[in-house]
Amino acid sequence: MKTFLLSRIGLFVAGLVLATGEASALDSGVSQEQEPSFRRHVIPLLSRSGCSGRECHGSFAGQGGFRLSLFGYDFEADHKALTQDTGGDEGEVRVNLKDPAKSLLLLKPTAQVKHKGKERFKKDSWEYNLLLRWITAGAKDDAAQAPEFERLEVIPKEVVFQSAGQKVQVKVLAHWKNGTAEDVTLLTRFRSNDDAIATVSDKGLVESLGKGDTHIVAFYDNGVAPISVMLPVGEFVGAKYPQIRATTKVDELVLTKLRKLGIVPSEPCTDAEFLRRVSLDLAGTLPTPAEAVKFLTDKSPDKRAKKIDELLESPGYAAWWATKLCDFTGNSTRQIFSENVPDLNGEFSRQWWEWLYRRVAGNEPYDKLAAGIILATSRSSPDQSYKDYALEMASYLRHDHPADFAQRATMPYFWARKNVQKPEDRALAFAHAFLGVRIECAQCHKHPFDQWTKTDYVQFQAFFEPVRYDADIRRDDVNFATVTKDLRLATGGKMEMRNKNDEQAQGEEIRRRIDAGEIFPIHEVYIATRHPRNTTVKQDTQVYAGRVLTPKLLGGDEVLLKGYADPREPLVQWLHSKDNPYFARAFVNRVWAAYFHRGLIEPVDDMNLANPPVNAELTDYLTADFIAHGYDMKRLHRTILNSDTYQRSWRPNVTNEGDDRNFSRFIVRRLPAEVLLDAMTLATTTNERQQTFVADVAHREIGPNITAFGLELFGKNSQPNYTLAAFGKSPREMNCDCERTTVPTLLQTLYTRNDPEMLARIENQRTETPAWITQLRGPLHAQSTAPGKLDQWIAEAFLRTVSRPPTMEELQNARGDIAAAKDPIDGLRDLLWAMLNTREFSVNH
Amino acid sequence: MNYLNCDKIPRRDFLRIGALAGIGLGLSEYLAMADGGAISNRAKARAAIFVRLGGGPSHMDTFDLKPDAPDTHRGEFKEIATNVPGIRICEHLPKLAKCADRYVILRGVSHNLAAHELGLLYLGTGNRPTPALHYPGYGAVVSKELGGVAEIPPFVAIPTEGVDPSGYLGVEYGPFETASAPMAGRSMEIRGLTLKDSLTLTDVDRRQDMLRKYDQAFGNFAAKDKLLAGMDQFSQKAYAMMRSSKTRDAFDLRKESAAISAMFGNDSFSQSCMLATRLVETGVRFVTVNLRGWDTHTNNFNTLKNTNLPTLDSGLSGLFLALEAKGLLGSTSVFVTGEFGRTPKINDRGGRDHWPRAMCCLFGGGGIQGGRVVGESDAKGEGPKGSPISPDDVAASFYQTLGIDSHKEYRTPTGRPVMIVRNGTAIKELVG
Repeated sequence: MKTFLLSRIGLFVAGLVLATGEASALDSGVSQEQEPSFRRHVIPLLSRSGCSGRECHGSFAGQGGFRLSLFGYDFEADHKALTQDTGGDEGEVRVNLKDPAKSLLLLKPTAQVKHKGKERFKKDSWEYNLLLRWITAGAKDDAAQAPEFERLEVIPKEVVFQSAGQKVQVKVLAHWKNGTAEDVTLLTRFRSNDDAIATVSDKGLVESLGKGDTHIVAFYDNGVAPISVMLPVGEFVGAKYPQIRATTKVDELVLTKLRKLGIVPSEPCTDAEFLRRVSLDLAGTLPTPAEAVKFLTDKSPDKRAKKIDELLESPGYAAWWATKLCDFTGNSTRQIFSENVPDLNGEFSRQWWEWLYRRVAGNEPYDKLAAGIILATSRSSPDQSYKDYALEMASYLRHDHPADFAQRATMPYFWARKNVQKPEDRALAFAHAFLGVRIECAQCHKHPFDQWTKTDYVQFQAFFEPVRYDADIRRDDVNFATVTKDLRLATGGKMEMRNKNDEQAQGEEIRRRIDAGEIFPIHEVYIATRHPRNTTVKQDTQVYAGRVLTPKLLGGDEVLLKGYADPREPLVQWLHSKDNPYFARAFVNRVWAAYFHRGLIEPVDDMNLANPPVNAELTDYLTADFIAHGYDMKRLHRTILNSDTYQRSWRPNVTNEGDDRNFSRFIVRRLPAEVLLDAMTLATTTNERQQTFVADVAHREIGPNITAFGLELFGKNSQPNYTLAAFGKSPREMNCDCERTTVPTLLQTLYTRNDPEMLARIENQRTETPAWITQLRGPLHAQSTAPGKLDQWIAEAFLRTVSRPPTMEELQNARGDIAAAKDPIDGLRDLLWAMLNTREFSVNH
Repeated sequence: MNYLNCDKIPRRDFLRIGALAGIGLGLSEYLAMADGGAISNRAKARAAIFVRLGGGPSHMDTFDLKPDAPDTHRGEFKEIATNVPGIRICEHLPKLAKCADRYVILRGVSHNLAAHELGLLYLGTGNRPTPALHYPGYGAVVSKELGGVAEIPPFVAIPTEGVDPSGYLGVEYGPFETASAPMAGRSMEIRGLTLKDSLTLTDVDRRQDMLRKYDQAFGNFAAKDKLLAGMDQFSQKAYAMMRSSKTRDAFDLRKESAAISAMFGNDSFSQSCMLATRLVETGVRFVTVNLRGWDTHTNNFNTLKNTNLPTLDSGLSGLFLALEAKGLLGSTSVFVTGEFGRTPKINDRGGRDHWPRAMCCLFGGGGIQGGRVVGESDAKGEGPKGSPISPDDVAASFYQTLGIDSHKEYRTPTGRPVMIVRNGTAIKELVG
């Protein structure tokens, strides 16, 4: 075995020779040694040379009558395309076995004949010779004898440059399942994730260009391997790096990276900054002036940790994180609506939120919470009859004293959404929500930046095929069909709804039945018992010819579904398995991103091999800790929030001004839509209402908020909430965390300055949240204008908005401004208006 | 409809309602005021209107018909003559046929990105999209290069522009989005601009003065931080817009003269085009107008015949004629494009699928000599005949009409130098 391995490496002596930019040893290797392998050498070479790219022969229509699989992973089809007459426009076979040198496969890329893709390599180059050798040897596919690819190894794994312009040669080894390895550097595609930091040549020579850190990524077969590359930002590296105490493990791991980069972290933030920051981030709630004063005057050394614990027990925390979980899982009002009772629209979405709220508040382990969604069926037990199910639903939906949906063990609406009714869409939604992975690419072709092939996708999709949301009429005498028939008879006897009036009559009858506790027709989420996937796939037989498709976990094993009543069970078991690389990590990463405005992996929901974490050790540590402590969400929040890293100031120093990815300072960001609007309300309402508003999450913007995007797809209730939409609340329809946006716009500024809704907040007109200013004009007028009181009101205007008292200069300015106003309360109102329009108010900092 | 296109670009055009203020300067006064330093002497255009036909219009059923192609390709529509001898377009574009001397048809434009989002980005920036860097759209670049007057947003999108339109240039060069399309005979609602109740301009000024004093928390850092700097720009702009007394006029289409109004239809695209002419008249540098719904995978011919083509016909012909009547055609560059063409071969659902290898664009105004066809596609409309015109070249040409050097280098936030359009050169035949 050892000799074999050495000879393989000898075949491609790339690593050493390449450093000098020559590849001559390679072709001599090829010509002297055994014939090149189709799967190991020819296809990777074509891929690396760009032949199978989307703009060339990887295009779905091919190019010039010749088509390769996009990003090259369909070996059989590619072999056929190269060796048989494809019947394309040119109708020519790409290899010429009789006269190999006359093969189009050689003439075209060397531009000896007209080639739209121009010259890809030179005649007699090692590439040329490799292909020539393969054709001469018969242009065979080596399916049977080719060992399976196992993993890709890159050497070195990390490069720390000392100065720009330095170069390092990277070596890439492919490991095969039979224990052999091979240097495939020359057959590897390379990419720099940020070519302002470092570039990489097609032969794997990495050059440092600028300060900072990024990754070089190597692609070969379906292996993807990143190499961490950095050039220190400042001169404070090694021994020159200042002594900085790491309070927690998180800090230690962050500092390890910062030390390498020569980035010194910012100072700790002030208490006022901390209180405002953590309240908004953790509980979606602006601190009230009373709370701010209490915290700022508290002398105990552990007051920050205590505040974190206190906030974790607040309704705001449960509400805001239930809302975030609704984002992740796609709770879209417009996608789960009742077919015939507009009145019910939004109720399912509310129940979804309430179910999550209960679990976040009770700190149910995240894995249990997820399983309650993934494994959900509509019937609360396997032997529940359709009638009892419908009556149970009626109890949740009735107007008066509805039963408590949140106590149900499972929440089935994830599967009930209109936009995830196809198995492939269910697979995408599942991957986004619970794995933080985007597998869309593999729906049509090999994922360009990850290991996923089309076959992986189809096999994964099989888990979702038996999951249905419609009418399960197989086992009950009283079922959806009979109840529907009965309903139609009761509303005029027509079996088909012919017009709006029929629809309305039936809708009203359903509403009546629900309120009266009578049976009504409603669809359900259930598992269709027949396994549709134990047969050979009929369509697309060219691609999957001869293979029986077995459900396969992403990057995991094949699963025999016969042993399970519900195919989602092995899926959940897989999420739980120790080596699942996604489930826990995806949640940890999303929580981190909520606190640092950037994930450890960014974009947050795009975990792929070519997109490694910015700090892998930290990601691993937090993930392992989360799993080891039973998916304890509150513990995760606590671990992050108690770190110095979270509590750093936004004020930069000379080394970290440009750092927005290594957590050396707090990144200033605009507040999320719901949090900002609630903050506007809290800042402007009376002290009494402030106290109740904080806990009144059912009516706050961070609450269920079912009307945010309209309650119907069409019709009168389809208008979205102008303000929430303008500030970037997520419609939750796209399987992308990017649907929520905190980018500022002119429109937002116009809203804060002059929108009628905003002005009504500041002064009168809102009955649910009466204005503080109105109160000062009315009941408290004598008090408010009493001598000496003014400074107190000025301070309160600051505490209400920016959660800190005014500076001396600000206080003096405010006195002057108020004195210049027609009426002191007018002056105070304008001060409040100004504070609400400061950037300090609408960002977290 | 949740999704506009087959590859699920979300429909976010309901998102934002808003407005823009003009200060009522005449164009010449405005031009005298505007900072026109970057405008080269040769350039005629001082403003641009970008008409985006989202979904990808079928080139073979609009401006590049192939009457001699086989049945499987040709399509149902016939060609008609235009007012320029030798130029023939689709029979369902009769009004555009009567003003073909006002525009140039670019045929044989070709690229290879067959997905909506990527195609939109390519045709909307002149740069092939990459995951590593978001390139700025035309509107953002034009705003940056040509500037504007303080009271008027340089870049307005009707109703929206799409995801991250200013790319690496940052939010301060982003568009002002009207969110809704104008409706005939109505003033657009301008929420947040109208001064309500007893609020006077004096109050607005006093508040502005106060805000300046209290918005100091971030000190010097505010100018360095992209987010804070962008928010400040919006704040300045909002103030200027609120102070403007002519704000409503630009958006109040009832104020348009009867003669101009008569050039347009009553549908929202026509009205958007009319609004675009009013905005340019007021001093806006760049206006994007959207006409969506060209993704005709099924039922291509009925959709085009009954809806898209008549809508495009009245709106676009109105745009050219109204600009001319207002004396703005020479100084306003009009660029019309989708993200790709559609398959020359008709599919079995009577539709045409995505086809980036051949598409067409229109150019008009901005000093470009109209009544011409530039470029050519092959006999079956499958690809360019002769050398293809790339979206990069189209973009470089568009910038040239505005006097912007498309090879100018910008720096990304990380300090990386990037050209406005790296791979494009202006098409000589088109813009000289």
